[in-house]
Amino acid sequence: MRTLQVYDPRGVVEASPLASAPRAKSLKGLRLGILDNTKWNANKLLRGLRDRLAKKHGFEAVNYYRKESFSLSAAPELIDEIAANNDIVMTAIAD
Amino acid sequence: MAQDAVLKVPPEAAASQVPEGTDLIEWYYERGYSDGLPLVPPTPEKVKAMLTALGGEPARRVARVPPRWGSLTREVLAINTVMAGCRPEYAPVVEAAMLALCAPPFNLNGVQATTHMASPLLVVNGPVRREIGMNAGHNVFGSGNRANATIGRALRLMLLNVGGGWPGLLDKSTLGHPGKYTYCIAENEESSPLAPYHVEKGYKPEDSTIFVLAAEPPHSVTNHFANDPEGILDSICSAMSTICNNNAVSAGHCAVVLGMEHAATIAKHGWKRHDIRHYLWAHSGNRWGDLYGNGRYGKVYNRNLPVWYKREPDARTPIVPSADNIHLFVAGGEAGRFSAFIPGWGHMSTPVLRAVSGAAPSAGGPQCVDGTCYL
Repeated sequence: MRTLQVYDPRGVVEASPLASAPRAKSLKGLRLGILDNTKWNANKLLRGLRDRLAKKHGFEAVNYYRKESFSLSAAPELIDEIAANNDIVMTAIAD
Repeated sequence: MAQDAVLKVPPEAAASQVPEGTDLIEWYYERGYSDGLPLVPPTPEKVKAMLTALGGEPARRVARVPPRWGSLTREVLAINTVMAGCRPEYAPVVEAAMLALCAPPFNLNGVQATTHMASPLLVVNGPVRREIGMNAGHNVFGSGNRANATIGRALRLMLLNVGGGWPGLLDKSTLGHPGKYTYCIAENEESSPLAPYHVEKGYKPEDSTIFVLAAEPPHSVTNHFANDPEGILDSICSAMSTICNNNAVSAGHCAVVLGMEHAATIAKHGWKRHDIRHYLWAHSGNRWGDLYGNGRYGKVYNRNLPVWYKREPDARTPIVPSADNIHLFVAGGEAGRFSAFIPGWGHMSTPVLRAVSGAAPSAGGPQCVDGTCYL
C-alpha cells in the first residue's frame, strides 16, 4: 500500500512522573506551611483559613510564606525551605 | 483537543505513515493540532527546506515551551512553521521569536496560562522585513500579507502544540483576543521620520531584530485636528489613561504605534523618540481614587504596582513605571491620522528584543538616536 508521511507537531515532554505525598490522617501536632501566591485576596483567604484551622487542630507550628510574583513559580530555594520545615502545605489563588 | 492528547508524551519520531488518499487537512484537524484554521500539510520536502533554512540540525533543541514544557527541536519548529504556511526564508525570524518568547524574563508560562487576554505581539525591525516581504504599511495589523500572517501563526501553533496552551486546558484566558491567531507586524522604517526602534535600543540599522511583548489588542487613537506634537500625544495619553487596561492595574510595559501622518507632524517640530516617550509618560495616568471606586470597596493597596506610587485619592498613578517602559514604533500606511496604544499584560512579563542572528547590540561608544548621541 502506498502511504503518505504525516507529522506530530507537539514535541517530546521530558518529564518523569512524581508520586503525591501520602495524605495526613490527622492534622494535630503537624507543622502547617502556607504559601501566599500574592494575588489580590490570597492573604485574606489564607489568613482566615489559618486562624480557623489552627483553632481546630492545634498545629505545632504555622509558617507563612509568600511567592515573589503570583505569575511565577515559587523559587526553588523557597520550595526547599517549605519542604524542610513543614508537614503539610496549603495554598490558594484568590483573585 | 482532549486533555490526554495534550499531556501524552508523543513518540520520539515525529513522522509516521498514513494510507495514500487520506484527507490530510482533516487528519490534522482530527488530532487537534490546528489553531482552528486549516493547516498546510507538511511534506518531507517542505520540512527539509525549512530545516535547511534554519541551518539543519533537526534534533537541536531550540527551547522548552511552557506550560506543557514540550521540547521544541528544530524539526518540530520546522513542522509547525510549514503547517502555518510560512516560506523557508521566514524560518530564522520564527526561530528567533521562539527563543525570545522562551527567555525567562518573558514568563511565557504565565502569559500562556493567565486569565487575562494577552497574546505575544511580535514586531520585526531591520533589513529582514524587506527581504521576506513583510507589510509595515497600510493595514499593518490586519490581513493580506503572507509573512506577517504566517509568522505570527507559526508562533501560535507552537504555543498550542508544543506549549500545550489549549483554551480551557492550559490556556485559561477568559476572553482571548483576535491576535491569538496571529499578531505580527514590521516597523515602517523606510517612511518613518524617527530612528528605528532597534537603533534606539543600541542595535545598528543593518541588524535585523525581533521584539516581543505580551499584549492586549491595539486601541485606535483618532486625531484629525492637531498640528503639533502635544495635541496628537494628548490623544494617545487619553487612550492610555483608562482605569481598566492591564497596565493601569499591573504596571509593566506597553507599546505605542504612531501612524505615519502623526509621526510626520510630531517629527516636523523636532521631537525625538525620547521626547515622545517622556511626554506620553508624564501626561498619562489615572487618579488613584478612580482606580478603585473612590473608596467604595475599602482601602486598596494593590501590590502589583511599584511601592513608590503614592496611594492617595488624588495622586497620579502612572500607566507604566517609566518612559522606558513605553515601546514606541512607527507603522502603517501613508494616509490617515491614526495611531494605536497597545497595553501590555503587566509587571509579570518583561518584553524581549533579540537580533535574528542572536548577536548582541553594538557595545561601547555613545548611543546615537535620530542624529543625537548620548554620552
